Formats: sequence, structure tokens, C-alpha cells
Amino acid sequence: MSGLELRPGLELPERVEHPTTRQLVQYAGASGDFYEIHYDQEFARAAGLPGVVLHGLLKAAFLARLVTSWAGDRARLRAFEVSYRGLDLPGRPLRCRGVVRGVEGGVAELELWTEDAEGRRTTLGSATLELLEPERGGQI
Amino acid sequence: MSAERAASVVERLRARIGREVAESVHTIEAGHVRRFCEAIGDDDPRWREQVPPTFVVALGTETPELPEALEHGRGWLNGGDRFEYLEPIRIGDTIRARSRLVDAYEKRGRSGDLLFLVFETEYINQHGRVAVRSRGTRIRR
Repeated sequence: MSGLELRPGLELPERVEHPTTRQLVQYAGASGDFYEIHYDQEFARAAGLPGVVLHGLLKAAFLARLVTSWAGDRARLRAFEVSYRGLDLPGRPLRCRGVVRGVEGGVAELELWTEDAEGRRTTLGSATLELLEPERGGQI
Repeated sequence: MSAERAASVVERLRARIGREVAESVHTIEAGHVRRFCEAIGDDDPRWREQVPPTFVVALGTETPELPEALEHGRGWLNGGDRFEYLEPIRIGDTIRARSRLVDAYEKRGRSGDLLFLVFETEYINQHGRVAVRSRGTRIRR
């Protein structure tokens, strides 16, 4: 992203994640979130779900990565927020997308979201980035 | 569950807003950070030195015990999370987490009343400075 001019409307290069049940078990272990709806199919169905579902915070991690891998060391993440709006199931691709909404005073505001195979936005988010090379006039 | 019963649960929870604080102390371990990065599929080399943005949730921070919340509904949903980053958290740091209930309210959902609990957690490093402040919304349905 060197020399890229940051302007409202600029889209981040999207990342497509392919979460698996194996990844949900890995995430349960690494995060310590052992709620059974994330790895026990019978438990999940008894709770009224179509099957095991992704951890909201795993989707948050995907969106955070979208931002940090794009920004590299040219910007510092100051704030990051996500709201979980829909369930996502393993075995289905999950598009992670973002767009620059504003740039002012060395700070960029991003809108972020995950999108399922049907185009539903299942996670909505935002991020505030502090640009570390403001002398370059909004370029990072 | 009757509306009266649910209202009393939220009232009892509201009485505890800001009062209950749970504290826990954690060492940031390289192996834990590596396993977390493997789980989220993030191989950025900078996470060999500091932690990725959502890692703090994996610390196993104590939250105030709110047994009355379990009287509402039959399961949990995660509503959302917000993180404010003030200083990087590095491998080897000692982090003291202080968590408290900051809001409790009800909303009518498609399949009954939902109970929202909002927790705020401060992650304080060994220098006594807040490195990360987070706000998580958890829902009983």
C-alpha cells in the first residue's frame, strides 16, 4: 500500500476466509471459549441453531487482520469495534471487506464487514487508524 | 418466563452496575500467542513480539459473577465487542485485568425478550498504564 492515497471510498483488498470445524476447535482451545455451540453439533441444534457456528470473536479477528495486514507498520490501530448481526457456519466462505470512510488530521476511519455466500452482512465493524507518516499528506 | 420475573432480573442486575469488579493477573506467553495466531490464521511476523488486536479476549479474564442473569432465557449470544488500543501488549508483559458490569437492559427480540449485559475491561500493564480497554456486549436469549 506504499504511496497509496487514502481517500473516502477506497476499498481495502478483500480477504476470503474458509473457516472449518477444525478451526473452530482450534479457536475454542486458544481463546478459552468452550461454549458448545461452536463444536458440538447436537448441542448447537438443541439450542435452535442450524449447526455449530463461528465464534463472533473469530470473525472479529478476521476483520482485525484485514486491517492490520493492509496497514502494515504505516498506521497504528487505535480503536476497533464489531457488532455480530448474523450467524456464520463453518464450510462456507466468508468475505472480509472494508472501505475508508474518512481521513482527517492523520486519522483514518474505516467501515468493515463480513459477508456470507448469500451476500448478507453478518458482522458490522469499524476501525480507527492513526497514520504514522502524516507528513506525506494522507498517504500511507 | 413472565415479563414481571424478567423485569426483576434486570432490576437486580442494574443494582450491580459499576459495583462488582473482578480482577485477574496474566502473563503474556509466547506459546499462547502463537496458538492464538494459528487459530485465527494470522501469520504476520509482528505477532512474534506483540499480540494481535483481539488477543486480550483469550486471557481468560475473570468477569463479575452474575448468577441472576442465568434466570433469563436459555443461552448466550455475543452482541459485539469494542477495543481501544493505548499501548502495545508484548510477549512477557504482565497484565492485570479489571472487569466490571457497566450496563444491563432488555430489548424485545423476534423470539422473546433479550437481556443485554455490557462489561468493560481494562488491561493494565506492569508499568501501571492501561494498554487496552474493551467493552463487550453479551446477550441472554
